[in-house]
Amino acid sequence: MGMSNKMRQFTWSGYMFLVPYLLLFSSFLILPLIYGLALSFCQWEILSPAPPRFVGWANYQEALNSEYFWKAFWATFRFVLMAVPIIVSSALLISCGLNQVTARNRQSFYRAAYFLPTLISISVAGILWRWFYNNEFGLFNAFLADWGLKVPWLTEVSVAMKSIVLMTLWWTVGGSVIIFLAALKQIPDQYYEAASIDGAGTFHRFLYITLPLLRPVLLFVVVMSIIGSFQVFGQTFMMTRGGPELSTRVLVQYIYETAFTNYRMGYAAAMSWLLFLAIAVFSIIQFRLMRER
Amino acid sequence: MRLLRLYRVFFSAAVLFSLFLLIVVVGCDRPSDHVTIRFWNGFTGPDGRTMLGLVRQFNQDNPDVRVLMQRMEWPSYYNKLFVAGLGQRAPEVCVIHTDVLERFIQAGFVYPVDNFLKGEHGIDVNDFDENVWKAVEKESKHYALPLDVHPLGLYYNKTLFCEAGIVDASGNAKPPINQQVFIDAALKITRDLDGDGTIDQWGFVYTWFRTNVYAMMAQWGGPIFNNEGNTCLLNSPENVQALQFCVDLIHKYQVAPPPENYDAWIGFRQGKIGMAFEGIYMLADLEKQTDLDYAGSPIPKLGKVKATWASSHNLCIRSDLDEDKQVASWRFIKYLTDHSVDWAKGGQIPVRKSLRNSEAFHSLEIQNEFANQIPYVHYMPRVPYIFEFYSEFDLAIEKALRGSATPKAALDVATENINKVIERHKRLFSESRTHGDEQ
Repeated sequence: MGMSNKMRQFTWSGYMFLVPYLLLFSSFLILPLIYGLALSFCQWEILSPAPPRFVGWANYQEALNSEYFWKAFWATFRFVLMAVPIIVSSALLISCGLNQVTARNRQSFYRAAYFLPTLISISVAGILWRWFYNNEFGLFNAFLADWGLKVPWLTEVSVAMKSIVLMTLWWTVGGSVIIFLAALKQIPDQYYEAASIDGAGTFHRFLYITLPLLRPVLLFVVVMSIIGSFQVFGQTFMMTRGGPELSTRVLVQYIYETAFTNYRMGYAAAMSWLLFLAIAVFSIIQFRLMRER
Repeated sequence: MRLLRLYRVFFSAAVLFSLFLLIVVVGCDRPSDHVTIRFWNGFTGPDGRTMLGLVRQFNQDNPDVRVLMQRMEWPSYYNKLFVAGLGQRAPEVCVIHTDVLERFIQAGFVYPVDNFLKGEHGIDVNDFDENVWKAVEKESKHYALPLDVHPLGLYYNKTLFCEAGIVDASGNAKPPINQQVFIDAALKITRDLDGDGTIDQWGFVYTWFRTNVYAMMAQWGGPIFNNEGNTCLLNSPENVQALQFCVDLIHKYQVAPPPENYDAWIGFRQGKIGMAFEGIYMLADLEKQTDLDYAGSPIPKLGKVKATWASSHNLCIRSDLDEDKQVASWRFIKYLTDHSVDWAKGGQIPVRKSLRNSEAFHSLEIQNEFANQIPYVHYMPRVPYIFEFYSEFDLAIEKALRGSATPKAALDVATENINKVIERHKRLFSESRTHGDEQ
């Protein structure tokens, strides 16, 4: 009896410890989420004094029939499709390489070097890369000029999104590298030794030992970068403002413009929920595909 | 022991600091003998320093009023200003561009200044150009005091003009005044300097598509909306012709670089461009380029009439102020326009004719050239959904200039979409009116 009392007291105090976080979490995440959901079924344009008015599915219908919504969705999707595989595989490659660097302080140096860009705020990184990418006096075109090349990095429809992906790779790869590196260190050396004795080469050791043992971490990194990539905004907003010809106007930017430039709160909320839905669907697919068999 | 001493030092520092804070806070809180006016604007560049100087001067000359200025970046400025208005926390005085003014008027956030025009601190409205003063008018009320006017004008590279032999009798570079001379000059300047088969010196370049093309549309005389403002006429034949001319400069005459592969303004600064249309506000940027021999002139008449684009910074007063604050705000904004010659030095043109006739303004050469256009400048259409209009307009002309759609097709699509926006707004405001009646 006394024992169970103690247990109850214990859980109670546990919740008490959680209260500060839960308070912030619910007031800045849960409540706005519910409010946003309610708003997505309302017409609320703050340019007019009319209060929010319930309109059912009208906002969702408008989005699904809107050329601009699908253009923005497709731009986002193209970004995810390019960025996620490139960033994850580069991170994996870099971390495997770093894992081979045995001198301890040299490894920390490289690790820090890869991680540093992640610490730069997007406004700084965006402006920096906009200058790198400049047609006339940018760093990249200055190098390429030696071969007589001039790449319209951010000004040509077919190139702009790829340039954004390249910049994102530089900016975000460090985070995933650190996670992979930590996971690689968890794999016991004996496995590799045993495999070597059995005659497995570098590639086979990677394929049959490293990859399977990294699977949970890989799943985590892939899902997190899919979620992050669907929410891409800062890079495109800082570097192209969605241009040229809206080819890099991603969903979050379109939602931002709808809400805070055109003041259509209900419609913006509906599009946010559609984005959330897309992220949820793709995350679930990933979990299914990569679940431990 | 040493640690303890360190603690003591820290502790006394903290106590002293809190005392200091307390004094400051209490000091600010004492009943004031002056009216405080908050003043918001987006002058984050060098113009901000000029404005701050004017504000300080005003505070010195008017001990009974204290103006606090806050600057923020233009791109997010109007979002913040509007939301502050909704939350009843807008500043007493703010700067609003002419094209955005309509949505603030419609939301009821700005106060008409007509009551102040006569009387002790009055102002002679005939001192404003008619089109500039009309641009802040709605239903015969005026909702702002214009501070300046910044038209689009022609900047040209004198060195390239002289090299190409485009000079007057005394050998000075001669800016074009009509379409034929303009195209001739552009053709002469456009050259492949190093003989590698690609052109590296261009006669003309598009800077900001929006203002450049809008000026041409104004010159061809095309309407953007009908008189009632409820139908978009962006695809009218005149506008299509104007846009076609703009496209022709790139694809037919080949005197302007295709926009996807050129940084226009940098090119002009580097001396690789003969002519560019830009706002007077870019002058400060050019003045930094000491190795460039440039000049300014009105935009040549390329279409049917003389016209160019312009906008103004307008000084607005919040709508729900008590009388003391209203009067103080008015005195402040009048003071700013009275002193707008100083403001003009940073690359603006004072809006009042009397100031433009002053000695101080006559010494500003390019400002004077650009100012000659003021009688025929065109402001952007005044509609509350201006940003939605811009996104359609910008997309259409970008597509046309890049050659991914014909001018007609691009403008047709934009017109259709803008008309949808108008429909939505009509529904919205008829609803809000019925809502207002219920109250």
